[in-house]
Amino acid sequence: MFRFIVRRILWTIPVILVVSSITFILMHSVPGSPFTRERALPAAIQKNLEAKYHLNDPLWKQYIDYMYGFVRLDFGPSIAYRSRTVNDILAQQWPVTATLGAIAFIFAVVVGIPLGVLSAVKQNSLIDHGSMVLAMLGVSVPAIALGPFLIWIFALKLKWFPVATWGTPAHIVLPALTLSTFYLARFARITRASMLQVVREEYILAARAKGLREVVVNLKHAFRNALIPVTTIAGPAFADIVTGSLVVEQIFAIPGIGKYYVQSIGNRDYPVIMATTLLFALVIVLMNLLVDISYALLDPRIRYS
Amino acid sequence: MVFRSKKTQSDNDSVKAPRSRSLSRDAMRRLMKNRSAVAGGIILLVLIFAAVFANFVAPYSSTEGDVTNNYAGPSAAHPFGCDFMGRDVLSRLIYGARISLAAGFVGAITAFLIGVTFGLISGFFGGKTDNIMMRIVDIMYAFPTLLLIILLMVYFKSSFSVSGVAGTGFRGMLSDLDRSMGGMFFIFLGIGLTSWLGMARLVRGMTLSVRSTEYVESARAIGTSRVRILFRHILPNVLGPAIVAQALQIPGFISYEAFLSFIGLGVNPPTPSWGMMLSQGYLAMRSHFHLVLWPAIAISITLFAFNFLGDGVRDAFDPRQTR
Repeated sequence: MFRFIVRRILWTIPVILVVSSITFILMHSVPGSPFTRERALPAAIQKNLEAKYHLNDPLWKQYIDYMYGFVRLDFGPSIAYRSRTVNDILAQQWPVTATLGAIAFIFAVVVGIPLGVLSAVKQNSLIDHGSMVLAMLGVSVPAIALGPFLIWIFALKLKWFPVATWGTPAHIVLPALTLSTFYLARFARITRASMLQVVREEYILAARAKGLREVVVNLKHAFRNALIPVTTIAGPAFADIVTGSLVVEQIFAIPGIGKYYVQSIGNRDYPVIMATTLLFALVIVLMNLLVDISYALLDPRIRYS
Repeated sequence: MVFRSKKTQSDNDSVKAPRSRSLSRDAMRRLMKNRSAVAGGIILLVLIFAAVFANFVAPYSSTEGDVTNNYAGPSAAHPFGCDFMGRDVLSRLIYGARISLAAGFVGAITAFLIGVTFGLISGFFGGKTDNIMMRIVDIMYAFPTLLLIILLMVYFKSSFSVSGVAGTGFRGMLSDLDRSMGGMFFIFLGIGLTSWLGMARLVRGMTLSVRSTEYVESARAIGTSRVRILFRHILPNVLGPAIVAQALQIPGFISYEAFLSFIGLGVNPPTPSWGMMLSQGYLAMRSHFHLVLWPAIAISITLFAFNFLGDGVRDAFDPRQTR
């Protein structure tokens, strides 16, 4: 197990190298520079600016410099926001995205999984059919349709929540709901399907034959094993929720990292783009590692060599 | 449809055997019994019809408006109202179905072609080739898809479309092609280039298992060439499940297009995409909610139909799973 974890952690090195190279190459092969404006700057000023940000160096040198900075966790200065470093921007904006993502994820898990268990236990009941139709709606309505809809009902008509931006807990509700709906529905559907499959296993029959109470059979014997496929999607789901906040941040004008990402691409703010992409990639790798470890905890049949 | 088998019985069967039931016919029968899947299928057929014959179905032009109708509410002439340029919302929705369905289907086909080719090669050659190719897939899996597709779209848009290189060589050809498709070409490419990883893994796995079956071994024993084994024996066996798996991805691709158009990296402006209609309507939402409402309903119904049909298809092919 220990060797497995170490190997997986070492695996992040090539991942980061490839992700950063692709991002770097794509961004630098786009024509123009961060200082291309509608009214051109005087050539001397442009030259000085480019020299200041080392944009005149050969590309391989810029890349090596960048990666050296990355190893020291120094992402350099932002180009578009002159007075701020990328570290400042990440320190300010990442918590917003992380908070939103974490709340949405927890909500999806806490509501979605029990809903799936309930539907499976009461298979073909009204609760089951009702929640499965809702879940189907949940996976079908995209955030860009759901977000404006929620704003219209709960912010503009009922005035329960503020329309957009960020600050108080009330600001979190609508965006978190928009972000979590899809995954909540997916968790419910997968938990239900997985429960229904596990319930037919022989060890469930054995548990019933022993005369265990139905609640114990369902929750202790069936649920724990049914969680394995749910964990499989939980890791990618967390990563998707965090990247998906990019969509929601656009809709609700939330000053998170996703909003900066889209802006930075427009501004050709290389350091911000690189740092954000790498940060998201790290989250994904980390979540996949957590999933693999949690398999072993959930299912004693799985062993790592 | 795609899952119908080519020929289930030899034609010169003289003995009256009981009609054989092939796997795909059996699946079809189960699918037709599934009411929600059938409903989804019917909705999709209507949508496809509207998209293909948009020129005849839509009452007005999708790109030209009447300035006197700016933000007009619903009326007899314009049942869904008009947008900020006085364009008929209903007509734009109908033309928008084209964009969404095209993104879904062509995006799926592009990703399918890349994924199947990659997976087949990897699984068929095995050994070192397989190892290297699968490590590439593993690494790419860590790349956040949404971020990669945004990066790619920015790259395509600014280095092919805007920068005035039009008309020169290969780049110019691509940018002309994209412009003539209202910005759709690069969307197909962006979806295809970012969404083939799962398909590659699936096909590679199936190729490995088919490759070690006895009939492939006997084909090899009688001296069948590798190319023939690949195309006659492995590909047909891999194709069916791969198509079903890819069809289930279509709603995701439709969402990608809508999102890209929403943030301005999708179709070029006059082209009516539901995502773009949402982003334009969103700006005027306070006073003209119908501009958001209709595209939101259109895209939700479409995805709803795809998901219901997709669930039905999956259940039909895998009756052990109960969902």
